[in-house]
Parts: sequence; structure tokens; C-alpha cells
Amino acid sequence: MVAPVIGQLDREQAKALIEQQGLRFEENFDAQFGAFEDGRLVATASRDRNVFKMFAITPEYQGGSVLGELISALLQNGHQAGYKSFFVFTPPTSSASFQACNFRPLVTHHKACLLEFGNGLKQYLNSRKTLVRPGHNGAVVVNCNPFTLGHQYLIESAAARVDHLYIFVVREDRSFFPFDVRYRLVEEGVAHLDNVTILDSGDYAVSGVTFPSYFLKADDDLQSLQMELDLLLFAKHLAPFFNISTRFIGTEPYCRTTRTYSEFMQTMLPPFGMEAVQLERCQAEGGVISAFRVRQALRKEAYETVRQLVPETTFRFLRSEDGLELQKKLVNYQRRH
Amino acid sequence: MKITKSAQSGTMQSSDLMIFLEPADELIIEIESTVKQQFEHLIRAKVEEVLTQHQVSCGEIRINDRGALDYAIVARLEAGLKRACEKE
Repeated sequence: MVAPVIGQLDREQAKALIEQQGLRFEENFDAQFGAFEDGRLVATASRDRNVFKMFAITPEYQGGSVLGELISALLQNGHQAGYKSFFVFTPPTSSASFQACNFRPLVTHHKACLLEFGNGLKQYLNSRKTLVRPGHNGAVVVNCNPFTLGHQYLIESAAARVDHLYIFVVREDRSFFPFDVRYRLVEEGVAHLDNVTILDSGDYAVSGVTFPSYFLKADDDLQSLQMELDLLLFAKHLAPFFNISTRFIGTEPYCRTTRTYSEFMQTMLPPFGMEAVQLERCQAEGGVISAFRVRQALRKEAYETVRQLVPETTFRFLRSEDGLELQKKLVNYQRRH
Repeated sequence: MKITKSAQSGTMQSSDLMIFLEPADELIIEIESTVKQQFEHLIRAKVEEVLTQHQVSCGEIRINDRGALDYAIVARLEAGLKRACEKE
């Protein structure tokens, strides 16, 4: 019988079961279900927004109907929460079991697969069909937390080198500036360019925050794997659809994560017939411009510094009522991105 | 019957199917199945038959099938329709 895992005791059982299977327990999830036999928990799985994770089934129940029961419960629960498509990251050995439950593989890697339930990717692409441009196109994937002169410079230089430039703004709302603000500031900041299109990344940019690591071994390089899956997803599904043959990224002197990502781009995109181009970052007084510096300056209310780092459009927003409201919260915000 | 709200029926167990229904301005039937290649047309025919019978002419109906037989398709779809057409 599958039921939600709620009581303290059940929660502890679930955690122990996950760990017995050599998996890692993760604190963040929206719902957790368990399969119980005579009051004993024999299997469990969880949902974190539209990602299913922490599947753990005791060996004697593997290969039976338990996986289907757990997936049914997660789907029902996720549907009620308003999601239409669901993702699962699993080791390649479990990929077939999920495919038997109508999950479709999006990306296959020797350490992890990403599968999707539902038509999310197809719909994402179909609804953007009218934005497809012929020719030699390029892409940047940006978070823009918030949009700076550095982003503007990167986008201008990239747009000058291709027929059309797609700007994917990372949808996921775990940055200080909410998605609609980030998106709007990009729109305003590139309004003077006529060969660019701004796109919402949807669920199709794998970020470090959504990427569940429960099934990986302690010595696996989590961050690298997440970046590789993200690039494979881009190269396999997004790029061919939009005729993207060049992906641009700014040089990165400080942030190691971005630098590693850039290195992966150089090795992983060429096999797909794509080029990865690094562009020199734009400098201002006190070094290269970054959104991190903007947030730091905002926190100190150093508006003259901010003015040197962001375009007029972003500055106007920051000084607006909504912008000032957001800044009040910035004092407590510590994340690097 | 008119689909007025989001509903769901069935499971992803083997030999069953799971159906998601949402209100929509036109009729959209999406079928995903482990035996899609062999049986999609038959599943679709069955679904259309049940919809006609209940005079459902619009709505988004997403079928996720794991090899269900006809009577299971009918039962799950009717259950889903009843939930989706309920008055609040």
C-alpha cells in the first residue's frame, strides 16, 4: 500500500531505507511517499517540485509493481500541485524501468540519465516555432541577477557575430531578482538590437539547485555532472531546433563554477557541430563588471557605483518603487549568484 | 458533459493507464503508451468513442498507457470525466 510518509517515525524509516540503498538523503522535497507491507516501509520516493527523486526499494521488492505504484502516487500528487511534466535523474541502470512507465530519455550520460514524463519539451519547442530563424545563429544562457553593462556588452558582441542571437534567461527562481524582473531587464537592455530573441529557458536549463544528487556516490563530481547534463540537453534538443551553431560565454576571472562550465563547453559542444566562443568581459573601474558586484554595491546603497555597472534601463528599475522594495531584502541575501 | 476542472484517474501500474484531464477550448487527445506503435490507433478510437458517448467536445486529455485493455480504458476515462465535469 502506498501512502504519504508523514509521521516522524515513518520519516526516519524512509531516510534509513534511502541510505541503506547507498543513496543520499536530501532535505528538500515537497512530498514523500512510501510503500508499506505489514506496517514496514519497503520502498520510498519523493517529489521536489516537478522532479522525482530518492527512489529506494528494498531488494526483495525490486522488479515488481512497487515502482509503478510509487510513480502513480507521485504523478497524482504532482498533478494536484499543478505540474504537467515531470523529470527524473537516475543512474543508467534504472533508465529502462522508468521508460517502462512512459518516461522518455532526454539525455543519456554514462553516470546519469535525465528522463521526462509528459510532453513538456515538445510543447516548449512547438510553442516557440515562430521564433526559429534560418542561418548561422548563436546563443547565450544568462541568469542576469540583475542585467549589467557586462551582459549588455556580451550580448552586443555575440549578436554582431551571428545572424541571430537567442538569449535564454534561466527560468528557475532561486536568484535574488525574480524571473520576471530579470527577464524584463534583459528585454529593456537589448531593445536596441534587432537580431536578438529573448527566451525563457523553461525547465530546460539544468541548474545546480534542481539537480538531485541522491543517487551519486560521494566521490562523484556533482557539479561537473550537472553541467555536462545541462550542455547535453542544450546541444541535443535546443540548439538543433533554433539552428544554433555557436554558444557564447564571457571569460571568467573569479568564479570557478562559471570557468569550469566554460571549459566543458569547449570540449562538449564541438562533437555536436557547435562552436563555443569565449568573449572578453567588459571592464569598469575596479575590475570586470559582474552582477555580484552590483548586488554588493546595492547592499551598501552605493548608487554611484551601481550606475557605472548597469545600463540606464536597469538603473531606472533599481531606483523605482519595486526596485527599492527588493533592495530591502538584499541585506539578508548571501548567495554568490 | 463539459470538462470544467483539472482531474486525473488511473495509475501507472502495468496493464493500467493514467489519464489527466484539463479544460480547453478545443479537443486535444495526447497518447503516450509503452505499446504506442502497435496500438495507438485503437486506444485513440476507444477514447473518441467514450468521449462521443458522453458528448464531450472539448478539453485536453492526456493518456499514459501501460498496456491497458479496452474495458480499463473505458472505466478510467469515465471516472476521469466524472471528476473533471463535477460541479464545484
